Amino acid sequence: MTHIPLTLTVNGRPYDLLIEPHWTLLHVLRAEIGLPGSKANCLEAECGACTVLLDGKAVNSCILLAALCRGRSIITIEGLGDPEHLHPLQAAFVKHGAVQCGYCIPGMILTAKSFLDEHSERTPSREEIREAISGTLCRCTGYQKIIDAIVAFAAAHPEEQGPAHAP
Amino acid sequence: MRPNQNVVAGQRLPRLDGAVKATGRFVYGADFALPGTLYGKVLRSTLPHARLKRICASRALALPGVRAVIASADVPAARYGNAIKDQTVFATDIVRFIGHPLAAVAADTLEIAEHALAAIEVELEPLPPLYDPEAALAPGALLLHPGWQSYTALPVIARDGNVAGRSRMRHGDVDAAFAEAYRVYEHRFTTALQHAGYTEPRAASATWDSTGVLTVWSNGQLPFEVQATLSDILQLQPSRIRVVVPGVGGGFGGKLRIGVEHFAALLARASGRPVKMVTTSEEELTAAHPRQAAIITLKTGVTRDGRILAREGRVIVDCGAYSGSGPGVGAVALQCLYGPYRTPHYRLESLAVYTNKVPAGSFRAPSGPMANFAVESQMDMIARDLGIDPLEIRLRNVVQEGDLGPAGEVLRDVSIEECLRRAADAIGWHDRMTTPGRGKGLACSWWMTTGGSSGVFIKLNPDGSVGLTSGAVELGTGALTGAAQVLAEELAIDLEDVRIAMVDTQHVPYDYGAQGSRTAFSVGNACRAAAANLRAQLFALVAARYGLPAEDMRLHQKCVVAGDKRIPLSEIASQQYTGGGLIAHGTTLNPPSAYDAGRVENHPLPVWNTPSFHAHAADLSVDGETGEVTIHRYVVAQDVGYAINPTYVEGQIEGGVSQGLGQALSEEIVYQDGRVLNANLTDYKMPTSLDMPPVESILVEHASAAGPYGAKGVGEPPCIEPPATVANAIAAATGLWVQSLPITAEKILLGLRGESAA
Amino acid sequence: MSFSLHRPSSMAEAVALARQFGESARFIAGGTDLIIQINRKQQSPAHLIDLNGLPGLAEIEETPHGFRIGALTTHKTIERHPPFQGPLRALAEAARVVGGHQVRNMGTVGGNIANASPAADVVVPLLALDAEVSLVDPDGARVLKLADLLLGPGHTARHTHEVIDGIAFARLPAHSATAFLKAGRRKAMEIAVVCVAARLTLDARGLCAEVGLALGAVNAMAMRATEAERVILGRLPGVELFREAGRLAAQASRPISDVRASVRYRHLLVQALVPRALQLCVDRIGEART
Repeated sequence: MTHIPLTLTVNGRPYDLLIEPHWTLLHVLRAEIGLPGSKANCLEAECGACTVLLDGKAVNSCILLAALCRGRSIITIEGLGDPEHLHPLQAAFVKHGAVQCGYCIPGMILTAKSFLDEHSERTPSREEIREAISGTLCRCTGYQKIIDAIVAFAAAHPEEQGPAHAP
Repeated sequence: MRPNQNVVAGQRLPRLDGAVKATGRFVYGADFALPGTLYGKVLRSTLPHARLKRICASRALALPGVRAVIASADVPAARYGNAIKDQTVFATDIVRFIGHPLAAVAADTLEIAEHALAAIEVELEPLPPLYDPEAALAPGALLLHPGWQSYTALPVIARDGNVAGRSRMRHGDVDAAFAEAYRVYEHRFTTALQHAGYTEPRAASATWDSTGVLTVWSNGQLPFEVQATLSDILQLQPSRIRVVVPGVGGGFGGKLRIGVEHFAALLARASGRPVKMVTTSEEELTAAHPRQAAIITLKTGVTRDGRILAREGRVIVDCGAYSGSGPGVGAVALQCLYGPYRTPHYRLESLAVYTNKVPAGSFRAPSGPMANFAVESQMDMIARDLGIDPLEIRLRNVVQEGDLGPAGEVLRDVSIEECLRRAADAIGWHDRMTTPGRGKGLACSWWMTTGGSSGVFIKLNPDGSVGLTSGAVELGTGALTGAAQVLAEELAIDLEDVRIAMVDTQHVPYDYGAQGSRTAFSVGNACRAAAANLRAQLFALVAARYGLPAEDMRLHQKCVVAGDKRIPLSEIASQQYTGGGLIAHGTTLNPPSAYDAGRVENHPLPVWNTPSFHAHAADLSVDGETGEVTIHRYVVAQDVGYAINPTYVEGQIEGGVSQGLGQALSEEIVYQDGRVLNANLTDYKMPTSLDMPPVESILVEHASAAGPYGAKGVGEPPCIEPPATVANAIAAATGLWVQSLPITAEKILLGLRGESAA
Repeated sequence: MSFSLHRPSSMAEAVALARQFGESARFIAGGTDLIIQINRKQQSPAHLIDLNGLPGLAEIEETPHGFRIGALTTHKTIERHPPFQGPLRALAEAARVVGGHQVRNMGTVGGNIANASPAADVVVPLLALDAEVSLVDPDGARVLKLADLLLGPGHTARHTHEVIDGIAFARLPAHSATAFLKAGRRKAMEIAVVCVAARLTLDARGLCAEVGLALGAVNAMAMRATEAERVILGRLPGVELFREAGRLAAQASRPISDVRASVRYRHLLVQALVPRALQLCVDRIGEART
């Protein structure tokens, strides 16, 4: 088992790590860096609970080798906002009853953010938003209030949104 | 009964744990780890039925980083179980399903633990397997539990060989009624195993202290039951077992029974170190607690105008290798099969049967969807045959206030007719066009609000906040926020003033558990009782201080109002008039309802506490060339008694419908020769956002006598009707009834073409 | 389970490493198939060669001949590429249904082809477009028709030390359209039960001048339904003709029964989806004219 040095930029901060080449970004975030907000479930890119933003795009961190993230920007749910300073998208989720058990929610919020940023030139329709989250499974909500929250956020914030506070 | 002001209760307030969850700061059981923890893994059988001849851990123990390896010889020879204590931690001499635990390993890392599993030597001698519950019932069938008579079981359970439980409900003379009937219909329905599908895997961390007291951090639904089961397994008094619950990422009944807590505890004892265990996706689909597969036969005799005269029904529930929740689930199927209908004569029987597959559990409204699929599909078949509108035939038969239920109990707060009419109106029932391939269907049911006891402690803090300590676990439903809304309403404070404590069996009051749609109901009631106690204390203190009569006092906007005086609660709390602060206790226990014992045999839950009533309707299209179903609209009218928080009540409906639609259209754990073929989320098909139609929730509020402000249990019912609703809508669209779940596009297409499925 | 990770910065370096490590090495692009296979112990390479540092492989170029998609182009890029929203729409339609957005942001078309799942979505319209795949090895380069590259489930004609660097196909003539349809057990996150891509060109008289019909998930690899194509050529589009094509395509397919669907159902789906895909092409050609 050979460790290789790796510097990762997560939520705007650099982390100097010694990792094994086969470690996934999810494992490194949770076990090495101490950011457990990205969740572990299927570990096979089938549920989206592990979703983070890589250079602004939603990816499944459970199958992404940490070593391939050198020099790229990683945003986790912790980087979007905290309980005292909610990002408006997080606030919308809370306000619209989109959070039940909450285990899918970090992945769901970042999936939504990635899609909205990808379409920042316009406000996507409800059906487009429904499709945007189709790679992130929720077992509690039936998706309805999650979509309500994203629709409400998109209507109220047509411009691209960065993190709630400088990391 | 309803609150005076509905200032907090009844409002769409954001849940108390919403912000911490939405920012990734909430700690779930699967996130939790103790310093110095080891990681545990379970070795599981790869044969469905075999004699365990030899198991040897020496090679595994020799691997660097392996700290303990245990098998049945290393653990007390104890049996545990819910209805029947038939289960052991590891297979002892007989292996009974693929996935049966054989041994467990604790190691420095998960990877080492996985290598260690491969190094454990196991010798299995295959035995002939039994997969089909009907074959298991046949005379002369192989006995899967030759020692079944030596197991202890609840006295109410009737067992015999491969039958883990038989229950009956009956009344009248069914055979005479069939003879008199205008027509008698007989149908057979089958349903598949369904995974509870919670997004957070089952997890536990365990550690022993130097006095031999065990602490387990568990993400299960019933910490007191975990404590009791661990007590059985470890042969330890419950007072030496402490169960703490960090956050839970969904349960749905799949986290009811013990998950991995016992492995973690045993490995921690063997290694002398804390141990963390988390299940994998594959383990969740092969060795969890899924919804039983069922076979239902239903025979119904009716009059010319569609009134039910008699019903004869049998539900066979496939328990799997151990009884699990099977006997109780089978029994409860009978009430669902009876339905919310007046039935003068009935003879209903359930059989929970052992087979060599995963032991099944108590997934949301256990047995409800299966029995409802049968009774409501058949109702529509009868309606079609007699030329009666499906809504009309139901209205002719539904129970009314004061009617007797299947155990002869008096039914109160009956609202099924209103639910049916409102669901039908909302879907546009009287506006059904005959577009080929498009149809509307409906289905209705009733369900219990599980009783059981709950207690809470509340504590008024000097800053005016109130601590709420209960033994109930928040699964995600929002039930604890709901209970807190009741408490806040009673104390005239804001919801945000309530602080909910973590569940720790060492110091929380006993709670029967987050199951059976009972949490908001029971904890809400306990909160009302505690609030009354606290009010009395507050008024007595103010009376003594100011010389004013307590009877004239009330609480308003965080103050005690006494005449023209307004004394803030925070002021009273900070005065420390009494030792230890202002603490109150509240409990609730629903008294059992009267019933006719002559109608019931060996039924663990013969009467449903505070039943709810509900109706669903769907408008869908079927693609005649591919069989694919597209649901345009889905409507639910559910009697919730009183909506403590309409947002989260709707959330239960929307989520329950999604699970029900999954069971209806795409979900099944597929077994072939005792092995699960689709043990991953690629091929176990839960609904994605694109599979869900818009769901309209109509909250009918027909207050209950016993619930807080008239509330009834809300969580389970929404998953009951979707399979039948969809089946009936598909039949309306195509003329075809599919009598097995899931109703896949393939079954529909082949059915439309008159071809039988592969 | 660990491996050595190599990060070449040029194609020459990448293929040299591949030759050096031979069968014990695998290339990694998006990793959406490879990492899952490694986790499931279906592959255990001792070396991974990271292609993501190689320049110029993630672009879609328009060439005099037609289009060239770099092997590292993600499904998301294909899905959103403006020139693929018109007559070449089948490419976007197929890319759009690969996994969810997360997988599409990472998974590459080169990786998808090399993985050679018989149910791969984007492979099917590429096949209908007569795509050609260019491969590079330490000694040079070669071009293979996609149809000749795919040999079976997980099996291609690519040598271990070859890198797929791009996929090219010819520009469509005027009055052409494409369409892609997929059937599954649910409406997203699906491995196709059956998928179909059609390419159709109508001549001045409205007759079918050129056609490509490709099927996925109904054989050991994605396939062209050549008898069905032959029956369409030179004829006027119509319901009965397209149904005949569907029947011929179903007859030519060789699906298996698995946990997703039976042989019979897959045959019926081919019969249903082929005519629909062809009709969609006709409708799209008509729309473009108005």
